[in-house]
Amino acid sequence: MKRRDFVKTSCQICLLSSAGLLLTFMNSCSPAAGNSIFKTEVKNNQIEVPLSLFDKSPLQFVRPKGWNYDIAVEKNKDGYLALLMQCTHQSNQLISTVNGFTCNLHGSVFDKEGNVRKGPAEDPLKKFKTTISQNSLIINV
Amino acid sequence: MRKNLYFALALSCLCTLSQAQQISPAQQLITNEDSLNAGAAKSKTVISGYGSASYQRDFNAGVSTMNLDRAVLFVGHRFTDKLSFFSELEVEDAKVEGGSDGGEVAMEQAYIKFDLSPKQYIVAGLFIPRIGILNENHLPVNFNGVERPLVETVIIPATWRELGVAFYGSANSIPLNYSVGIMNGLNSEGFEHGSGIREGRAEGRTATANNLAISAALQYSWKDFKFQISGYAGGTVGLSKRAADSLGLNSGAFGTPVYIGEGDLQYSKNGFSAKALFAYISYPEADKVNAAYAKNLATGMYGTYGELAYDLLYKKQKKAQLISFVRYEAFDLNSSIPAAPFGIYDGTEKQSHLLLGLGYLPIPNVVIKADIRLVHTGPQNPALIINPPPNALPYQENNQVLNLGIGYSF
Repeated sequence: MKRRDFVKTSCQICLLSSAGLLLTFMNSCSPAAGNSIFKTEVKNNQIEVPLSLFDKSPLQFVRPKGWNYDIAVEKNKDGYLALLMQCTHQSNQLISTVNGFTCNLHGSVFDKEGNVRKGPAEDPLKKFKTTISQNSLIINV
Repeated sequence: MRKNLYFALALSCLCTLSQAQQISPAQQLITNEDSLNAGAAKSKTVISGYGSASYQRDFNAGVSTMNLDRAVLFVGHRFTDKLSFFSELEVEDAKVEGGSDGGEVAMEQAYIKFDLSPKQYIVAGLFIPRIGILNENHLPVNFNGVERPLVETVIIPATWRELGVAFYGSANSIPLNYSVGIMNGLNSEGFEHGSGIREGRAEGRTATANNLAISAALQYSWKDFKFQISGYAGGTVGLSKRAADSLGLNSGAFGTPVYIGEGDLQYSKNGFSAKALFAYISYPEADKVNAAYAKNLATGMYGTYGELAYDLLYKKQKKAQLISFVRYEAFDLNSSIPAAPFGIYDGTEKQSHLLLGLGYLPIPNVVIKADIRLVHTGPQNPALIINPPPNALPYQENNQVLNLGIGYSF
């Protein structure tokens, strides 16, 4: 192998390896880094979220341990709305936007209430009942 | 050299996939009920699809046509909570018949998806990279106009899919989405004057993998705006070194490269929406490809469009939507060409299109569309007209096209 090829190959391997490491880094740092993801556990089919969380922002994301989808919880004039961020079309994870939620897989769009605004999804997002107990919001799953 | 590359790529993927496969004790303790609550699909196999049909009147040609443009079948299957399969099988123009032109049966997508976390996943197989707005969101209910935006058809090929691996994710603390992918490269021998890079795609069929490509995209949301930048860089000669040398082309993973840069923004608030997109393709060694294959390819191409739309039923807060829109598109498929004698400018490939239209969606899954498109092109270059037919009409730089269409997705 010529020196030039060796240098080029080494650079490319470094680039690819860095990409792999970057993925690991992003995976490990992002969930804990933001204050908008609240990680918790499901106990007796209930998730407990401190109400003080909503002082920072009316929209919070809850990540139950072992779940493949986050729950978006928004404080609004009627109380709290908890929506599972799972596209009702083909179960892809949703992305939160200012106006609601979008699915990158096929382009489904849901509004803030979880209603379908653009297909192919046909059903609204799954809603969880919520209750307030002392200083906590209880999400019944 | 390639072996090393593949080894490094496989290593990167294995590192990440191994994370996807790790099952924590908490996950092992999930009951069936918890699993259902956690979002596992009720039905493991999902069948759905989309399609569109259109009527088009070309006023200059005096020709009207009707066509079932496409009918696409999705089949998805969830193996486990973190492993699933997605596919799209498309029939274009209703039928494919031996011995006659037209029609296409093709896989639009077929990949395995590995969920790493609620916000990160990897896809492997035939997938659509995130370039532009339409490529990922190409269902007829999701764009205005009967036809897909032309810039996202001739500059960025619509439903551009290739074989490879891609990583997608969203940051938790900021509204940032990102993706990066590696895939087979384009084939320079397939490029044709007037169709950009479209005909160089393998789309999953015996792609040349001596040449590779990488793509990456960043999306950021701010208030009611969504910004995206994306890029693509890849080799276009998949021949062996000996064959490439004999044609005077540079081979290798990124030999005879093509580069694509794209930026777009979308705005949406209270029924009003706006889009703007710019894309540029650079093909610096087009002269060599032109010499090798007797083509007339450009070294630079650009396309841009802007669209304003308003849902006339928004204030009534009904499920139905009546979207009026106006879109202006401009592109030049030979904005820069190789020096003579390796490139000849074609004014007809510099075009602008103004569209005015309506889309009525009684429900979000069905759309009825109507629009009129005003076309303007540059002049024809007589140097490109070889043996013109004696009955050929003079080239007309202005035209009007009426489109009516229906579309569905489910």
